[in-house]
Amino acid sequence: MSKRWVAALRWLLLGLWLAAGCAYGEPYLAVQTGLKCSQCHVNPTGGGLRAPYGDVFAQTALPATKLDTGPDLWTGNLSSFLRIGGDLRTEALATEVPHSKTLSQFELEQARVYLEAEVIPSRLLVYVDEQVAPGGALNREAYALYWSKNHDWYVKAGQMYLPFGWRLQDQSAFVRQASGINMTTPDEGVEFGWLRGHWDAQVDVSNGTAGGPVNDNRKEFTSQVMYVESIWRMGMAASYNDKLGGGRGTYGLFAGLHTGPITWLAEGDVIDDKSQGFGAGRMLASLVEANWLIARGNNLKITGEYLDPNRDVSNNGQTRWSIVYELTPIQFAQIRAGVRYYDGIPQSDTQNTRQYFIELHGFF
Amino acid sequence: MSIQLSRPILVPVAASLCLAALVGGCAGNGKGLDANGNPIGTQSSAPSSAPTTASAAFQSIQDTVFTPICTRCHIGANAPEGLQLDEAHSYALLVGVPSAEVPSVLRVKAGDPANSYLIQKLQGSSGIVGVQMPFGGPYLSQSTIGMIQQWITNGAPPATATASAALQVTATMPVDRALVDAPVATIAVGFNEHTDASYLNGAVHLQNMSAAAATVPVMIDQAEANPATVLLTPLAPLGPGTYRITIHGGDRTALTSVTGDALAADYSFTFTVGIP
Repeated sequence: MSKRWVAALRWLLLGLWLAAGCAYGEPYLAVQTGLKCSQCHVNPTGGGLRAPYGDVFAQTALPATKLDTGPDLWTGNLSSFLRIGGDLRTEALATEVPHSKTLSQFELEQARVYLEAEVIPSRLLVYVDEQVAPGGALNREAYALYWSKNHDWYVKAGQMYLPFGWRLQDQSAFVRQASGINMTTPDEGVEFGWLRGHWDAQVDVSNGTAGGPVNDNRKEFTSQVMYVESIWRMGMAASYNDKLGGGRGTYGLFAGLHTGPITWLAEGDVIDDKSQGFGAGRMLASLVEANWLIARGNNLKITGEYLDPNRDVSNNGQTRWSIVYELTPIQFAQIRAGVRYYDGIPQSDTQNTRQYFIELHGFF
Repeated sequence: MSIQLSRPILVPVAASLCLAALVGGCAGNGKGLDANGNPIGTQSSAPSSAPTTASAAFQSIQDTVFTPICTRCHIGANAPEGLQLDEAHSYALLVGVPSAEVPSVLRVKAGDPANSYLIQKLQGSSGIVGVQMPFGGPYLSQSTIGMIQQWITNGAPPATATASAALQVTATMPVDRALVDAPVATIAVGFNEHTDASYLNGAVHLQNMSAAAATVPVMIDQAEANPATVLLTPLAPLGPGTYRITIHGGDRTALTSVTGDALAADYSFTFTVGIP
């Protein structure tokens, strides 16, 4: 069977699976609860500072045990107009690469501070997401957001993450790396969002330089539409970056399903980048993730990923399997332990890496 | 906490694994491909202006761009901006190292080609100091720059490391006994292995030999995404004078790699900062 037929069969199966609503990777919390991202995050497309509901959820529903803090709950309010939040991730990581020594290290992955100034209550806010460590301060997001009276549409302008597929915590996931749209690549531009009933949609126009310097008038156009039901949701996203030397198109389908104790996430992306030479621009990446809520505060995450880095070449596929146990013993503290197993062509050592890690995630 | 492995749970888990395999497929067997995943013996889809054997891997970029083109100037003690791009020095002096012309921008910022000074210089971007590289042209084709961008996007990984038994200095910037113009904002020292950050502050010292060998206050850190390179950032840019860097080796407090390999003996080099 030719590679083209195998690829077609994969997409057909994915489509049937999604259409049939059968069983199929932190957005899992939204799917698990049946809520939109904007319910728990200030950013309507998710990630960053938690909204008051998200803060309460993180203290009451997420941890295995809630330490008694009396009647007060942290909601990030410094004043009636100003809210603050943050995330800190630090880990012990061991990396095995064939024919090399195993490298083990402690690593401060990131410390981030979020600030929201609600200058007109419920209508106009200014938001900043600043990475303060490691290294010097690095701005991730900084924008002003205007909400309509009924919160059914908004306009955002500044530097922001683009909406595309699942906003996974794991930025090294194939779908986030191959698409090039992740939480390390914010872009400067404007976003129009529409949230009504079961629908959630965004349209963005941005520089297409991932926050870097602009050399020309070319722009990136990104759009995402998602339909949200209480136990499932699915969406599609497209992005076209009109780059010098050839455009880059990225197209994705993604879905989530909640079945009993398990929450499923799936995403498939195809990339066609004409600015990349050497046939490196035609890629395919997919992800399927199961989150098993074993008990309150105990989540087992199993993720399978596939990457075809060049659809014009055979025998070059890569897979990545992850098993991660996430323990949230008390509010605002999470311990994640896991292994990531990369499997690629045998002549490439780096495509056959193993990673073992224990991560401490503190957030507020 | 109770864990119940009931059939309703196991069935979807098993189903997910099967479906993941179907959706994801298997890793390639690599038949007919080189180590970078490109077909052996076939011409790439690159435009004719691009080196045909290049790929988005550091060794390939070294072999097709840095060595044949850039080292016409960027080599030896007088390499422009202290940037030596020969095979022995290039990675250590590129990845995570602040550019000399715009110190707030890293030469190569892993994962972020747009904010990598190397790319900005190759493209002749508006924010650069000086002129587009290669100096005087011909400039690299977009596909070749794209290949370097892809390598950076991929995290700017080094070429496959070779096993070693001892930590060794492989590159310095400035080079030993160099005469450089003031001010000097960053000093870089490359090693053959990833250094253990916990030893840095005790093992790396900067002295002003023109001021009775006084210790110069300096921040010491690993280069971003490149822990094999150590960066020294003086709290104030170095003015005219002769300076000496000493990296301690040979005993229990020696600078050590993350795999436990220690620097066998003290290593030092000097440079002189002149008035531009």
